Amino acid sequence: MIQEINTEEYEGMGQTGPMMVEFYSKKCGPCKMLAFVLKDIDKLKPDFKIFTIDFDENQALKERLGVTGFPTMLLMKDGTEANRLKGLQQKPAIIKAIEEIM
Amino acid sequence: MSNKVTYTSQDHLITSQNKAEKAFLAEFEKKEYTLEDPLVVENPYLINPLCALVMFKTDSAVTATITVKGKRFAREDLNHTFQAATTHILPILGLYAEFANTVVISLADGSKKEITIQTAAIPADVCKCTSISTSADYLQDNFMFLTPAGKNQPTAYDYKGDIRWFLTENTMFDIKRAANGNILTGSSRFCRMPYNATGLVELNMLGKINKEYRLPGNYHHDQFEMEDGNLLILTQDFHRDTCEDMCVLVDRNTGEILKSWDYKTFLPQDVAGSGSQDAHDWFHNNAVWYDKPTHSITLSGRHQDAIVNINYDTGKLNWIVGDPEGWPQEMVDKYFFTPVGDLENFDWQYEQHAALITPEGDVMCFDNGQYRAKKKENYIPNQENFSRGVRYRIDTEKMEIEQIWQYGKERGQEFFSAYICNVEYYADGHYMVHSGGIGMENGYASDKLGAFLKPNDPAAEIRSVTVEEKDGIVRYEMETEGNFYRAEKLTIYHDGDNATFEPGQLIGKLDVTPEFDTLPDVEAVDEQPDTWHNIIIEEDEDRFVFHGKFEPGTMVMLCLEGEKQSHQYFVNTSAVFHLAMCSGAFLEEDDRDVKMNISKEGLKGKLAIKLIINDKKYDTGIAVFCP
Repeated sequence: MIQEINTEEYEGMGQTGPMMVEFYSKKCGPCKMLAFVLKDIDKLKPDFKIFTIDFDENQALKERLGVTGFPTMLLMKDGTEANRLKGLQQKPAIIKAIEEIM
Repeated sequence: MSNKVTYTSQDHLITSQNKAEKAFLAEFEKKEYTLEDPLVVENPYLINPLCALVMFKTDSAVTATITVKGKRFAREDLNHTFQAATTHILPILGLYAEFANTVVISLADGSKKEITIQTAAIPADVCKCTSISTSADYLQDNFMFLTPAGKNQPTAYDYKGDIRWFLTENTMFDIKRAANGNILTGSSRFCRMPYNATGLVELNMLGKINKEYRLPGNYHHDQFEMEDGNLLILTQDFHRDTCEDMCVLVDRNTGEILKSWDYKTFLPQDVAGSGSQDAHDWFHNNAVWYDKPTHSITLSGRHQDAIVNINYDTGKLNWIVGDPEGWPQEMVDKYFFTPVGDLENFDWQYEQHAALITPEGDVMCFDNGQYRAKKKENYIPNQENFSRGVRYRIDTEKMEIEQIWQYGKERGQEFFSAYICNVEYYADGHYMVHSGGIGMENGYASDKLGAFLKPNDPAAEIRSVTVEEKDGIVRYEMETEGNFYRAEKLTIYHDGDNATFEPGQLIGKLDVTPEFDTLPDVEAVDEQPDTWHNIIIEEDEDRFVFHGKFEPGTMVMLCLEGEKQSHQYFVNTSAVFHLAMCSGAFLEEDDRDVKMNISKEGLKGKLAIKLIINDKKYDTGIAVFCP
């Protein structure tokens, strides 16, 4: 499942279990490509939650989470960051990181 | 479909040179050329406009001496005598530009022929000498060869600062004379940003490339010829997330990689970073040197402010010269040196280049001094900084280090080079210090690397200063326009074969260009990309280079589609900030211009080139053929 959320929605949602939070920018080519990669991953792992957040429109949240660039993927488990992938990554690297928190 | 895509196909320079050589040798066989009526071929290998070949036959084997007459007086004449032969194919080197050069060919039997070779003016992108102070007595028949750090050209200057050799190909990085008299330097062929070339080239002074040694991880910065002729070459593995952290030993004849050293096996990557370090370019290896007495390799790592020595066979760390601050204590205790002697004048080197081991076992380098501290709060601004050549004596038993010579600190910011440069050791007390990366803005040392300064900006000065000191006296100082990576003093003729006529060879191999495994599901259109993108596809024998202009943030993918196979490559259009730019040869004026090298390694057949730009897949109308 891929869902775009904002800061408010992030704060309000339950963060139990594994999930990914991806910070992207509309001005970023690698982010656009990563969107297709995540779409493919979503087909392979439909039960895994992927949330996307606009880097430019959620300043306070990205600062609080220490996200300094885009794309950045935070792999979270029960509300705690377990791993972080920076930059455009290929499917095997992302799937490996997801499986590590499943 | 209108033609909105530019496509060029060209031979590798080696192929072009082989064809040119075959043509002039065939011409030479067409009639009996004699001393009186020789065949003169100007710029025979297409890339050195200041040379020629003079060809003729004699009835009996005689030695021939050529004299390239000096511009002013006989003291400036260049002379070289060739071995006795009946077929004479004589390289004429070191011609003056835009000048009617007089060349005299004298045979041992007393006969003589004088010819005139008129040369063209120096192109605008060749950097001129702006001042020189030396003498013909000191420089003898040597020229100072400078290798470019940007879009300038490899160029050699005589004792008056006159340009006597340059290549129209932008070969780059180190230049060293091999044991056979040829020179070894970086290829001009772009492979990966910021400055990775396809490989190393061995060429003679005529500009003929005898071999290009291609490497899967490309070539950068430096190489070293071993006693058996094999080559240590600096490279990397592009299939991992770091760069400039590997060295390979390459077979001189076949180009095969015989041995490799991976610095991650003996150095931590996340300690003691210099001011220019990032996680990707954590070491930034810019020099390699083999020392026979200790059977060890010395490596300079700009981004750890460290000169590292390893055992050749085992790859195990022997010692590290550098400021120990920031390194793990157990490494400091085991591998670092304690300064002794005149501590008041002792300085560690920072972001250094061109480390070497002298015959006495001392360590020399060009200490750029960029930041001149390990902690950010202690960084020295470039305007208050200095660069220098330095020689350290090390005692590997006591682990003590003494600074026994330096040149440059006293000159302050006017001699400061934040990047590139080298030193040379000629004898005890006789050195060269090449500060080739000087960049000033408004009269002060710039905070930008010279490669990023605009040559046409009236506030900017970009220059290169090369100094030779003998027994404490400066015997040579030359200043040129532009930045130059290294300087090397060489005679233009040597005692070996100054010209050979076997076909040049392209050996070794490039890697398979990494592909991207996700293909975006976008609409395919029967159109070419808009002219604004200025798509250029340059096909070569072993690769092609894709050029295009894209606004940052555009999603771009290059797709190769064939009947039996397809390949896809992500093209990054993000603006990239480079902390190192040792050669700006491949830098584009407009940072929206991107280029990507695709190796033909691993590709087969006819492949149509398609281009995804955001939500559409365009057909460039171009296909490449991969044998």
